[in-house]
Parts: sequence; C-alpha cells; structure tokens
Amino acid sequence: MSSTSDSGLSRRQALRLLGGSALAVPLVLAGCGDDSGSGPSASSTQPVELSFFWWGGQARADLTDKALALYTQKHPNVTFKKTWQGNQGYFDKLATLTAGGDAPDIFQIDDNYLTEYASRSVTLDLTPYQKSGKLDTSKFPESLWKYGLVDGKLAGLSFGENTQGLVFNKTLLQSHSLPEPKTGQSWEDHIAWAANVTQVTGTPGTMDPSGSYQAFWVWLRQRGKELYNGKQLGFDESDVTGWFELWKGARDRKATPTADVIHEGNATDITKQLVATGKAGTSWVWVNQMPELKKATKNELGVVAFPGDTKGQWARASMYFSVYRGSKSKDVAVDVINFLANDAAAGAILGTERGLPSNLDIRASVANSTTDQAMKQSISVENDLGKLFGQPPAVPLKGHSKVRTELVKAAENCQFGRATPAASAAAFVTACKAAISA
Amino acid sequence: MNVKSVARTSALVVLLVIVLYPLVWMVGTSFKPQDEIMSTVSAIPKSFTPGNYPDGWTHLDVNFGRFFLNSTLVAGLVIIGNMLSCLLAAFAFARLRFPLRGLWFGLMIGTLLLPSHVLIVPQFILFKTFGWVGGPFPYTPLVLPHFLAIDAFFVFLMVQFIRGIPRELDEAAKIDGCSPYGVFRHVILPLSRPALVTTAIFSFIWTWNDFFRQLVYLSDLSKYTVPVALTQFFDSTGSNALGPMFAMSVLSLLPVFLFFLAFQRLLVQGINTSGLKG
Amino acid sequence: MTLTRTSPVAASQPEAATRRGKPKRREATAGYVFLTPWLLGLFGITAIPMLISLYLSFTNYDILTPLSEVKWIGLANYRNMFTADPSYWHAVLVTLKFALIATPLKLAAALGVALLLNRERRGTGLFRALFYLPSLLGGSVALAIVWANIFNRAGAFNAVLAIFGIPGRGWATSPEWALETLMVLGIWQFGAPMVIFLAGLKQVPTELYEAAAVDGAGPIRQFFKITLPMLSPVIFFNLVLETIHGFQGFTAAFVVSNGTGGPVDSTLMYTLYLYIRGFGNYEMGYASAMAWVFLIAVGLITVVLFATGRFWVHYSDEDER
Repeated sequence: MSSTSDSGLSRRQALRLLGGSALAVPLVLAGCGDDSGSGPSASSTQPVELSFFWWGGQARADLTDKALALYTQKHPNVTFKKTWQGNQGYFDKLATLTAGGDAPDIFQIDDNYLTEYASRSVTLDLTPYQKSGKLDTSKFPESLWKYGLVDGKLAGLSFGENTQGLVFNKTLLQSHSLPEPKTGQSWEDHIAWAANVTQVTGTPGTMDPSGSYQAFWVWLRQRGKELYNGKQLGFDESDVTGWFELWKGARDRKATPTADVIHEGNATDITKQLVATGKAGTSWVWVNQMPELKKATKNELGVVAFPGDTKGQWARASMYFSVYRGSKSKDVAVDVINFLANDAAAGAILGTERGLPSNLDIRASVANSTTDQAMKQSISVENDLGKLFGQPPAVPLKGHSKVRTELVKAAENCQFGRATPAASAAAFVTACKAAISA
Repeated sequence: MNVKSVARTSALVVLLVIVLYPLVWMVGTSFKPQDEIMSTVSAIPKSFTPGNYPDGWTHLDVNFGRFFLNSTLVAGLVIIGNMLSCLLAAFAFARLRFPLRGLWFGLMIGTLLLPSHVLIVPQFILFKTFGWVGGPFPYTPLVLPHFLAIDAFFVFLMVQFIRGIPRELDEAAKIDGCSPYGVFRHVILPLSRPALVTTAIFSFIWTWNDFFRQLVYLSDLSKYTVPVALTQFFDSTGSNALGPMFAMSVLSLLPVFLFFLAFQRLLVQGINTSGLKG
Repeated sequence: MTLTRTSPVAASQPEAATRRGKPKRREATAGYVFLTPWLLGLFGITAIPMLISLYLSFTNYDILTPLSEVKWIGLANYRNMFTADPSYWHAVLVTLKFALIATPLKLAAALGVALLLNRERRGTGLFRALFYLPSLLGGSVALAIVWANIFNRAGAFNAVLAIFGIPGRGWATSPEWALETLMVLGIWQFGAPMVIFLAGLKQVPTELYEAAAVDGAGPIRQFFKITLPMLSPVIFFNLVLETIHGFQGFTAAFVVSNGTGGPVDSTLMYTLYLYIRGFGNYEMGYASAMAWVFLIAVGLITVVLFATGRFWVHYSDEDER
C-alpha cells in the first residue's frame, strides 16, 4: 500500500522521516520516564524536592499544606512544590505534563482515570513497597486498597473511602409530613414514594438517575451483574433496556422532573445537583458530597443508601495518590503518601475532607472529633453501610470515561423521547464495546 | 434633538439593556450568598452579601491583587510583542514585493486554521525542549512567541488596514527618496494607529481570558494569572466558593473594561489624509 | 520630511527605468527583513508542533505514551472518522448549522451597531464600551452559570417571553434549542467585530464624504458609494475571520454544555468533539486527524472567500489585486 519512488524511499518512510526529524529533539526529552534508579531512600538526608499535584478547594489545600509541613518537620531535607486547582482542566493538565516528561512526583487521581494512567505505565507500581511494608495497607479495609489494583499491580494508594449516597431534601419532606426514604427500600418503593412526593409537594420527588453510572452500577450488582467483567462489559442489552424502562415508568408517573431539568442534574457538577437547586427531592451522588451540597441550599439534607440490596454498594476509593514512574525520588515519594495515609497526626489534620480515612484507626479517631454536623452524618451513614457492603468490583477499565458519557447520552435520548429504551440500550452497548476495546 | 437621533438613541438603549442583562445578572449574583446562587433565578440577591468581595480577595494564600498584576504583566508583554512583530510582517505582505510572498501569505493564513487543542501537547513538549517551562519566569512560553508574530489574526488585520492606506502616499515618499524602511517609518507607521489600537485591545482581552494555556504552563501559585486563579474557587466534585468566585469574576472584568475605555478614544480620531498633502 | 504631491508618474518614469534593478532588489531584501520575526516564529514555534500533530494523526497517540513509542497506524484514524463514526458527521452538521447561521447574524449586528455608534457625540464612547462588555468574558465557569440560569425553564428569557404570552421551556437544556442558545451566546459577543468595523469606519477619509455631499449625494447613496466600498477590506477581514472562528467555535459550546456537547450531542461542535476525543478519551491521534481534516476543509472555504473577494473588495492600492 505504500508506494516506492525511484529513490527507494517509500511514502510512508518519507513521512516518518519528516515526522521523525521534527521529533528528534523532543523525543530525547520525552523518553525520560523510565525506571532507572529509585533515587534517594526515604531515610537519607539528601535534599529532595517533590512536586505534588492535587485537585480540590482552598480548604483541602490548607489541610494538605499542614500535613506536608508536618512531614518536612520530621524530614527536614524534604520540601514540596505544591500545585493545586479546581478539577476543571486538572486531568488535561496532568496529561500534558506527563507528555512532556514533567509529571509531578505525587499526584491525586481517581477511579475514572487510574486505569488510563496505569495501563500506560505512568504510575509507579506500588506492589513491591506494599510487600516490603514501606507502604502500609494493613489497617485498610482489604476491599479498599484492592480497589487500587490495575492488572494485579497496585497503581494508587486509596485515599478516602466513600460509597453511593442518595441525598434527599429533609426540609421539604418534613414540611409536608412525608416520610423520608430509607436504606433498603426497593427501587419500585422508591419510585412510588417519589410519585407521592411530587403529588403532595409539587416538587418532583426524585432525580432520574438513568444516566448516572453509579446508580446503574449498583442496580447491576444487585442483579448479580457488574459494569465490567475482566476486560469485557459485565452486562448486556437486556439489562440496559430494563434499567431505562424502569425510569421511563417513573417519568410517566411524574415521579421525576421533566427531561430538560433532568439534563441539568446529569451534569457531574455538584452545584447543579437538583436537590441543591431545589428542582427535585433527591440527588444520586457519593455520600461524602453531602456536606458540600448542604452549603448550596438553605434546606436540611439527609442521606441514605441507594435503593435495593445494600450489597450492591461497595467501599469505593474516593481518590488515590499515585507516584510518577519517572520520579527521581520514588522511595521518598512513597514514604510521603504512606505518611499521609497512616500517620496519626497527619490523619487528624486531613480529616474527612477527601472522604473517610482509609486507615481504620485514624478513621475512628477522626469520626469522633469532627464538629461539622453534615460531615458527622455522612460518616455515620458510611460506617453503617460499611457493614452491609458487598464485594468490591475491579477498578473501571480504560475507556470508562467514554462509557460514562455514552450512558448519559443514551439516557437522555430516552428521557427526551427521541428513542425507545430498547433502541437507546442497543446504541449504548455498541458504543461501550467500542470504547473499552480501543 | 430630532426624531432620527431619538430613534437612534432609543434603539441603542433597548439593545444595550438586552445585551447587558447577563452581566447585570452576574453582578447581582456576586452579591448573593452561596446557598442562593444556584437555586434562585432573579438578578437581585435576597440577602445582600458584599462580603463575597473581601472574601474572594483574600480567599487564596496570595491575595487576588497579585493575580491581577500577573495577568497585566503577561497581557502587556503580549500587546507589545504583537504590535511590533505583526506590523512588521503586515507591512511586508501589504506593501512589498518579494519572491514567495504568496506562499508565505498562504501559510500565514493556514496557521489560523488548525484547532489549537491538538497543538497544546506538541507545543508543550517543544517549549520544554527549549527550557522555557517553569523556572523563575514561567511566562516565557506565553509571551515570547508573540514577539515573533505568532498571531496571524493580527498580521492579517494589519494587512487589511494597511491596504486601505492610499498608495499615492507611498509613491510620494519614494519620490522624495524614501527607502522601504523610510516609507514604513514615515507613511505607514503614523497611519497605522487604528490597526495598532485594535491589536492592543484584542491582545489584552484574549490574553486576559486565556485559560487553558496559562493553566498548563503555570504551577506556582504566586505566578498565577486571573483565569487560573479563578479555577481554585470552583471544584465541581467538592468544595466551592461560588460567591467569592463570582465576585472576583466581576472584578476581573474591570481592568479589561477600563483598558478598552481608555484605548478606544484612540479609535475615535479618524485619519484625515488630506492633512498629509500639500 | 514633507510629503509633496507632485505627479508621480511623469517624474519617476525615466528615473525608474534606469534604476529598475536596484529598487526591486532593495524591496525584496526589505521584504525579507520585515518578515524575519514572522519567519522565525513560523519555523521555530508554529511549524514544528503543526508537523508533529500531522505525524500524530497517523498514529494512535494517547498523550500518556511517550512520543518515541507511538505506533504508526497509517490512515486508520481518517478511515474511522469518515466511515465508522456517526458522531463525527453529527459534529460536522452541528458546526455547519452554527457557522452558517450565527456568523452572518453576528456580522450584521456588529456592522449595524458600529454604524449607529459612528457618529461622535457625548456618551458614544461609553455606549461603545458597554456593547463591548460581553466580549470581555472568556469561557469562564461564571459565564456558564449565568447562561444556564437565564435560559433554563425558570430563567429571565422565559420571563420576557411570558410578557408576550409565549410559553417558555428549558432552552439550554433541551436538544431542540440548545444549539440556538449557543448561537445567541456567539452573537451576543459581537463586540469584537464591531470594534474592527468602527476602526475601519474611522479610516474612511472624511473628505470623500465632503466631496460627495458637495456633489449632492444623500446619506444612503453615500453609504453605498463610499462607506461600503471603503470598508470592504475590513468587511472582508471580518467575514473571513468570523467564518473561521464560527467553524472553530469551542468556548461557547463548552460553556453551554459543560464540556459534554449535550444534551444528546445537540451542541457537539467539531472542535468540542475534537477536545473530547483528544483529552477526554486520550485519543489524541484521532483528534489530530480531525484537526487536519478541519484545516483542509476550512482552508478550502477560505480560498473560496479569497477568490470571490476579488470581485467585491476594493483596495486603495488597486494595482495589487
């Protein structure tokens, strides 16, 4: 297929030469992320500067600063170059830095992208450190640290636990003497409850979660399926059709808002969630997002598990800390994240801002000392649920972010009445298969 | 005051109200407390919260004024770079004949066409190779290219403006013995004020609002520019400071607006070429 | 140095004939001297990343794998784009729709308001600045919230419609109308071409109007015989650039759809889709292929614009084109 000119250079080769010469210098630099040497050991006194990148708000930054300062106190030779921002553009920047061979030594990451980075060998394999005890996960719930495994290797240290949480508008319900949703209610009961709320209060009872991958995932697990099974999808078309039909029924009964309002709630943005903007009685989020939702509304909020068997839920790592494979001070970096996760003083500083502390001892002491009511509530809900969790799934596959957006698209096609549940389901499954096999 | 001017003024006012309403909404929202912002629709806050402004100013470890200064520095440098290098190139394209001119002009327009998102990563790698990334003056990748006429938009803009300047003036200067450099200095440069002012205005605004590239190249809080600093108020997965964010967004409109107000006066005076004759 | 208006043709001809070689060479050299910064910029800064992205369009580059390890996959990206990706053609349609409707409207608004503002009287400067304000807003989170709020079901736009008895709906949140709200956002920021029009209007020599008035031409005749022709280089500029920008429209789509192109891809502009494939799905090779197809397509349109411009754009240096 490549034509060979008289000079013997095929078109493909010529193009490659062109591209190659343009790339020559940058290539030298970009090929710098290799395993050569792990740098100074954690106990050396050589001056080391680690770059640390995370997303969050000012509150998280203040706490992280303090915790890192504590580490520097104990290891005066280690200083930090800290960079943080809101999560808009965070992963774009992280990817760009990585491309330039400039990824931070330690960076925060979540289960949406862990596999993307780990499967391309950007993250350091932490398994050796875990085995030698330098990275201590002994006090972590087993399912929690296992949620950081990609292809059998530990790609990130789970930092903060959360689980699915159905947040509801307490004030609205109380003012109309309506019952609150309860953990363990069935999906049908929940929809009936919501339809009643709509009728009595005028506010739609529940947000339609058919586009929410976390709701769909729980529902699948309650049926013995999974979102992903090994390297394949863990569900088929009939599952998706059933899910979409369930919510079509709910919409028909006016248990949910209209499609355009649902669309607002489909945004991943916390500030747009309908329970906070007052456009629905509930939102389907993560338990530890409740305090933030509370700030956005004058109403009282409550939180319970998603409907159905609570075994469908699991201890999810709200985020991880990973170390860059090309870091020049790997051992020190691992020591730092070990410190943040397991040191009692650091744990007390960081609190529950990133989710429930992974280390159970720290979790117990922190839960007692927090004064934020909303935080206390989400902790106790998570703890209660923790006794009822099922086995955790594997961390999502490469292509997961595409699966998420396709689900929203398919659900919205259904919600706006542009396609039947079956047709949307078929399109969704086809798109997912393409996404994870690419 | 005749009918025509009343009609004209009324049309302008109506248009203005429509056009400015979103901004009015923004200003009103900047005075709302956090629990009102996403849940109310009116532009008028129920509980007036001027505290958003001092909150926003001191919200981050570095006060917001620093970010204004940084943005002004970057924008200022970009303006100078653009005005200088683009005018030079535009003069060549518009007034001088040289071999391959058509080819270079075509390439210049071509550089406008490639969507910038695919250039971010290769450019980052390139600038890293040059050693421009990070360091004590991290603004280099954001600023230096503009001294090399990288913004084809302004080159093309100035080409069009220069072509609007009557050639007779060039000819007259040449008769008097001017070299091309002389023509540039004595004919084109003085008459390029509208083009230069327009370039300055747009350079300022685009640099002031350029989020993504500034995000990628700046990692040190004290060096952040306004758009990057604003992202620190808003984390869609977790904590937000919506009120202060709106307050600082409104505040950050001020310098750009004032800059525009000041410079647009220079657009006001027309060029009267008859002054150059005789 | 004074510029005297002697008759150039008669005086210079004999001299030019003898000195033709030298001035021409001097001009060519001067051309390259003036062009040097741009040439440096082109080869040093613009060309290399562009060539790299061209190379990447033939690979499966995913940003995270080092450049030295990307796999060449030939025309696979291009093939998939044209034959196996319905979202691609959908994005093309959305972009065409946006560019063909929003661009002319934006230019019309810009020209109209510029003409209204061209008379200098007290307060015009302030008016000008106020009309320009919307263009000062970048693609910020704040703007996204503002727009969503005004155009959602309970927002101000519906309140206004209610005055006229028209029932409202969620505009930015429904697939039928989301693209239109995007167009409104694009047109709303007409301040930029407006300023360029104003600058161009200022450059029209006033003595032309004076001469026409002496000849008895009224304002409408003056508009068509003087303003439009003298403004045509600037109109052409705005037309070309706004067309290019219209096709490239990213910020408005990103803002209105929160980066998703939703609801149901109704606001999936080409460059937004490119961004989603490149940075969202880590398929930068595919995104690069999309970018180069875009360059060629919009380049062709631009060539057509330049070719037709020959017929209606009037330059003061008429011997050039």
